[in-house]
Amino acid sequence: MSTLRRSGLQKDVLSLYRRALRMVKTKPPSTQDKFTLYVRYTFRTSASSVSPRDVSAIEHLMRKGKRQLETYENPSIKDCWVSEEMQNWEKNRT
Amino acid sequence: MSVLRPAIRRLAKASIVDARSFTTSASRLQAEPLQKPALNKEFKIYRWNPDEPAKKPTLQSYRIDLNQTGPMVLDALIKIKNEMDPTLTFRRSCREGICGSCAMNINGQNTLACLCRIDRDTSKDSKIYPLPHMYIVKDLVPDLTQFYKQYKSIQPYLQNDNPPEKGEFLQSQEERRKLDGLYECILCACCSTSCPSYWWNQDEYLGPATLMQAYRWIADSRDSNGAKRKEYLQNELSMYRCHTIFNCSRTCPKGLNPAAAIAKIKLELAAD
Repeated sequence: MSTLRRSGLQKDVLSLYRRALRMVKTKPPSTQDKFTLYVRYTFRTSASSVSPRDVSAIEHLMRKGKRQLETYENPSIKDCWVSEEMQNWEKNRT
Repeated sequence: MSVLRPAIRRLAKASIVDARSFTTSASRLQAEPLQKPALNKEFKIYRWNPDEPAKKPTLQSYRIDLNQTGPMVLDALIKIKNEMDPTLTFRRSCREGICGSCAMNINGQNTLACLCRIDRDTSKDSKIYPLPHMYIVKDLVPDLTQFYKQYKSIQPYLQNDNPPEKGEFLQSQEERRKLDGLYECILCACCSTSCPSYWWNQDEYLGPATLMQAYRWIADSRDSNGAKRKEYLQNELSMYRCHTIFNCSRTCPKGLNPAAAIAKIKLELAAD
């Protein structure tokens, strides 16, 4: 089976997601779970909020995500806040 | 004392005459002040809300009475925000053309809303858009991150390793005069966003505003880092993307001439 062929935008989205997951690895182990949940939640909810054909909206979300990620990549940030909504979302997913 | 007295009497007499001339008859005294007729003008304003990214941007129209507003477009915008639609978003600060916050595209021309008079012709509507070819944060607020990064990249501060023994750097009047027409720039980004070259190569071309500031530091007699500054611009894209389109000079709300500054950099680089 040949692998899925992806558009440029899809590749960009995936690379942003990978970058976010790598950012989680640089954080202290005790808070990594929180960062993972935050990244997953933010990604999944905003991805499901727009149609895959709505390119301009996706590009806007990408820019927003990139800006957020640049902030979180700052090494002085060691912890993040996880809302109850995110925890419920995680529970319902599995 | 006796010298002063006639003068005082004359003054008192004059004030009585003035008071009389203010209302000449009883009917005038009771007349209602004239009401200016309502002069309704339509403003069409670009709206886009980032909280609903799937929705397309729209033009929303507002009708306001020009006789109840200040003379500038910014006054109209503030009136709309205060009285009609508090969700309208735009940047503003000094309202006198010195902060550069309210740069936007008004009737197809990039300018500062606080320096742009409202056209009093009510048969035509007035269209207000954010600065063209910029990413939008919300409504009339563009994302200027890239613009500021570019400005930072030219190191816009004095660099000189041998400061004078004591006191400040001295400059002759001719040397100071070279900076006139450069230092007044308020970085409103009107010129950069009106430049087609900047539209297509925003990531690499620095744009007129930044280049003019680059020249401002090259031209400064107190700065000793001119060679490095010129070297930074010596490539295909940073400056040579300027094709002397002159939109920058035409649009500048402060009446500066970025195109001339760029031409001078080109001259200096060619002479190197």
